[in-house]
Amino acid sequence: MKQTGAANRTRGAALAAALVVLPVLFVLLSLFFGRYPLPVREVLAALFSPARVPLASRVAVWQLRLPRALAAAFVGASLAASGAAFQSVFRNPLVSSGILGVSNGAGFGACVAIVCFGGGVYTYLFSFVFALAAVVLSWFAGRISRVTTTITMILGGTIVGAFFSALVSIMKYVADPYSQLPSITFWFMGSFSSVGYSRLLAAIPMTIGMALIFLSRWRLNVLSMGEREAAALGLDVRRSRFLVIGGATLCTAAAVCISGTIGWVGLVIPHIGRMLIGNNNQKLVPVSISLGACFMVLMDLLSRTLTGAEIPIGILCALIGTPFFVYLLKKTRGGNWT
Amino acid sequence: MILEIRSLTFSFGDAPLLNDLSLTVDRGEIVCLLGPNGSGKSTLLDCTLGFHRSFSGSVTLCGKNVLSCSRAELARQAAYVPQSHTPAFPYTVREVVLMGRTAQGGLFGAPGKADYEHCDAALERVGLASFAERPYTSLSGGELKLVLLARALAQQTPLIVLDEPTSSLDFKNELMFLDTLADLAKNDGLAVLMATHALNHPFYFESKGLPVRAVMLRKGQSARCGTPGALLTAQTLLEVYGVRAAILDVADEAGTPAKTIAVLGSEQRM
Repeated sequence: MKQTGAANRTRGAALAAALVVLPVLFVLLSLFFGRYPLPVREVLAALFSPARVPLASRVAVWQLRLPRALAAAFVGASLAASGAAFQSVFRNPLVSSGILGVSNGAGFGACVAIVCFGGGVYTYLFSFVFALAAVVLSWFAGRISRVTTTITMILGGTIVGAFFSALVSIMKYVADPYSQLPSITFWFMGSFSSVGYSRLLAAIPMTIGMALIFLSRWRLNVLSMGEREAAALGLDVRRSRFLVIGGATLCTAAAVCISGTIGWVGLVIPHIGRMLIGNNNQKLVPVSISLGACFMVLMDLLSRTLTGAEIPIGILCALIGTPFFVYLLKKTRGGNWT
Repeated sequence: MILEIRSLTFSFGDAPLLNDLSLTVDRGEIVCLLGPNGSGKSTLLDCTLGFHRSFSGSVTLCGKNVLSCSRAELARQAAYVPQSHTPAFPYTVREVVLMGRTAQGGLFGAPGKADYEHCDAALERVGLASFAERPYTSLSGGELKLVLLARALAQQTPLIVLDEPTSSLDFKNELMFLDTLADLAKNDGLAVLMATHALNHPFYFESKGLPVRAVMLRKGQSARCGTPGALLTAQTLLEVYGVRAAILDVADEAGTPAKTIAVLGSEQRM
């Protein structure tokens, strides 16, 4: 059926509005829940006339819940956007944000920071730097006779990932088993528990990365036709691929450095988007960004409210997200995949 | 002249493949590249499309040297229909055809209203207008080829380059595809350069009264070029393929003459 004219435009505008409003609603919603009990009235007062509420309420809403929810939104959006981008670049619906060794690189960075520098802000810095380093190394490892193809790059990513994974094991082996080892283990499970505004600095690389992916979103379709066809269609494949992989790398590295490894989102959120609105990246990228943000805010909300002790978010994402994914898979009959 | 190839020589390492080849393709003309496997048909297409860049001689598209063109400039002069296409994602037919408009936009370009119109016109042209919203992974081999042809048409280039476009099509679909190409050459003035293993293709175009030339490539040797009737003789087929064949004169119901090749056997039995 031909879709043209005003009806189509109205639907597009409604979708765009929903994609912007939904994550904002989720962030607002998450301000009302937490371990420190605050009535709805108190939260509203803290939001709109902070001078009238006690300091503890103000701190809970503005210094604890809001930065945390924002961080979760950015991380979810970034992981989903980079996952969608990597899937198109590598012409493979099964790859996710960690494809180029990012997670293992970041993990090693975090280990070094925890073991050698006592963690803290160093964890954040080192994991970001090593995540970027892993992607650069993957690119060089996959470079054969001055050309890096998508296949050799995936190979490079696998190799570099395995290398950093071995380094992580060494760090675990030498870490102090009573203080450092638990920190490492918890880092790998992912958490937003200590996020303050200073850590939201990572929103800058995430925003740049998402902007690059968002602007390239239609060209992602062309890239997914394969290098040869994309070039014949008039795409400067190397330049486009560099922009997209660069953007996706900034997204993933910054996300991992805030929250630790949350591996599953980058694979499945784009897939949920594919089932809902199809494979056209022009729509899929914004939908993934929005869904990723909503999903992660919700998961973080659950992780800090479900039980007395906080559940690591990486575990929760997989526990809740996978059954939901199976449900969607059945309901949409695979979304044209079969 | 739309495509002009002058003394093109190409070698893989030390092994020469294309030897001093000269060829032109004009508006409305169909040129069929023939030759055994590994004779350099695809390589010649790759040189034309700027994929192979280390050759001697020159390839000129609409007056511009292909080696000095950007990818976008090339894609505005020559469209490409690949021999095989492996879908990675189930895009809709329209989404695939729209990709033919890539060269019209900049670094972050996306298709606009005019691009959608060109895309729908191209789909109309190949008779797939009603398929626009279907996932292109659900199509038959013949339909998929037509989608790739529509994508190439959406590029609105003077030249279209096809690599064995009918190799995976059945008897009927092959004919329909050839008819579409003939129609495009005749009525739109499209220049067509196609590699094919089917030696009857040039005869078919010739019988339709189209300006067609056949080029017979042989690995490392100089190519032979001519009208299908003059080039494709029993003698040539024996020399190039080692196949004994007879060229038969036939006629359709209206009495229009046509030629066809009957295979008699291989060289050894002689």
